[in-house]
Amino acid sequence: MGIADHFPALIVVVLFAAAFLSPLLYRYAEKISAPFVIASLLLSLLMSIALLVQVQQFGPVFYHMGGWPPPWGIEFSADPIRVYILIVVTAVSLWIFLYALRDLKHELKKEVIGWYYTLYSILVGSMAGIALTNDLFNLFVLMEICAISACAIISIKEDRECLEASFKYLILSAMGTGCFLLGVAMIYMATGYLNYSFIQAALAEAIVHYPLNIFTAAALFIVAFGTKAALFPLHVWLPDAHASAPTPSSAMLSGLVIKIYAFALFLMFYHVFPRGMLTTIPLNEIILWMAALGTMFGSVYAMIQTDLKKMLAFSSIGQISYIFMGIGFHHDLALVGAFYHIMVHAITKALLFMTAGVIIYSTGVRKISDLAGIGRILPLTMLAFTIGSASMVGIPGTGGLISKWYLALSALEIGRPLFVLVILASSLLNAIYYMPIVINAFMHQEDFIHEVRPVPRYMLASLIVGMFFVIVTGFFSRPVVTLLEQAAILLF
Amino acid sequence: MPLSRRTERRGGGTAIEDQIVRITSRLVAPFIQVYGIYVILHGHLSPGGSFSGGAIFGASLVLVALSFNLETGAKQISHQLASGLESGGAFGFILTGLIAIAIGGNFLANRAAGFPMGQAGELFSAGAILIITVFVGIKVASTIVTLFYTIIEGEE
Repeated sequence: MGIADHFPALIVVVLFAAAFLSPLLYRYAEKISAPFVIASLLLSLLMSIALLVQVQQFGPVFYHMGGWPPPWGIEFSADPIRVYILIVVTAVSLWIFLYALRDLKHELKKEVIGWYYTLYSILVGSMAGIALTNDLFNLFVLMEICAISACAIISIKEDRECLEASFKYLILSAMGTGCFLLGVAMIYMATGYLNYSFIQAALAEAIVHYPLNIFTAAALFIVAFGTKAALFPLHVWLPDAHASAPTPSSAMLSGLVIKIYAFALFLMFYHVFPRGMLTTIPLNEIILWMAALGTMFGSVYAMIQTDLKKMLAFSSIGQISYIFMGIGFHHDLALVGAFYHIMVHAITKALLFMTAGVIIYSTGVRKISDLAGIGRILPLTMLAFTIGSASMVGIPGTGGLISKWYLALSALEIGRPLFVLVILASSLLNAIYYMPIVINAFMHQEDFIHEVRPVPRYMLASLIVGMFFVIVTGFFSRPVVTLLEQAAILLF
Repeated sequence: MPLSRRTERRGGGTAIEDQIVRITSRLVAPFIQVYGIYVILHGHLSPGGSFSGGAIFGASLVLVALSFNLETGAKQISHQLASGLESGGAFGFILTGLIAIAIGGNFLANRAAGFPMGQAGELFSAGAILIITVFVGIKVASTIVTLFYTIIEGEE
């Protein structure tokens, strides 16, 4: 066996190994600790890309940990959609880390930065694991790792707000994990398996004998992943957690962490539950309406915020709802839209949080009303904010349009034009709270009154990379959409 | 010499220096440590294993630090060394998995990769499992000590 056969395991292992070594490196060889983490993120990104090539040439890849075949051993599986998510996770986290290098020195105490590297690598590694694993209990363990490291990168700032927010997050996310574990127990009771593929095969028959078990498990899964991904009525932890965290953490949490749970729910729906189940009981309908309400209320809440980061956090609730909506439509074009939105929103929201971070770094301003006239002081930053907002609203030429386009298209295909109106209305609502900031920043007559520090080049470079990708996803969506279309059709 | 006396501590409050507690814990600590190592090494043969054994071993170090003071505890194992061992233990686990890949199995493979199995029931058997148990034992013991130090130092 060549080394390429081990890529599914190595992608996760490299990140965990980097996590364990970076506190030592930070203590004894501080200079190389950050490049070391960058190298490990880059290595896992390259391996993910190699895995994509491999999967597209030879079909899905299965990897058995320790050589034990399922249903006994833990299995990792790589199909085009999973590897696509993997690439999004590793690429975006590499980009956010480059930004974090400068920002962390400003926001954290010096001695905890090494630990931040550890937590960051563990977080990325656990997300990569969630994307790859094919085993329910392994998923549970990785979700716990992900939740704990996500809480820790909020509370590492050690001020009152962060501790309170991360404690709230910890409790609610533990409730989510608890629901998930109970659901796994229900499924294990009915089938005796933990491997997705074995469960799916066994459930086709077991659902006749134990319908209540399976329905309860489905309900528990929706609550579990809904809580973790901040689906509308379960979102209460998100605004505080994402707004008070250090900026790179906010970008990670809003950009990637909530999406990986939406993806996990997709895996449950399409790889664990039997195919007929989604059409016979109205699971999709529940998700769809929760998501439709979420797109509206997320935007309405965002509108009344006065704090910039809090507004961005509430906007994430609206945006994650589009992804759930795509899962809820139960149609291949909708899944294309949802998965494209995972990428687009990861890039866009990370970019917006970075601009917020740059503004706070440079001027200390957090209140939206104080941003008037800032466009003339920090033109590049506000240009990045403008492009990010445009993508949130879905203006042509940005990635946000493509995903909304596919969602609306599939709403028409399945004959529910009401949801096209929902998507349109929520886009308008997005415009209502994003555009005034842009207009005020550039058009305001009076001068910006706060003191301004020069912005480091690293930060500006990250913003330029972000703008570039927001526009690239808007104009050159074909290759990714083709990949997703081919993968989505196989699911129906 | 009085058996017990109170002394002022640097950060305020008092510490009790009790000869009975000190002598007893100094006497008992090596036995606890040997028992901890025993539980770790027999992880693949008997109940217990790396987690329980590591916790027992770590507890003995915490006991000494509690009955004497932080400086004496730090002479046994310093905070730096403990957190270094913590990283090393976890990394050793991963390294064992990677060695399995290097000698031709899947990640974390044991017999399939060609680790020596030995005679079932003997101490040195079960290949990679024994190696991993030792690494996890080191990790757990040092984690308990690190947690203890972090909580104590957090007071100041």
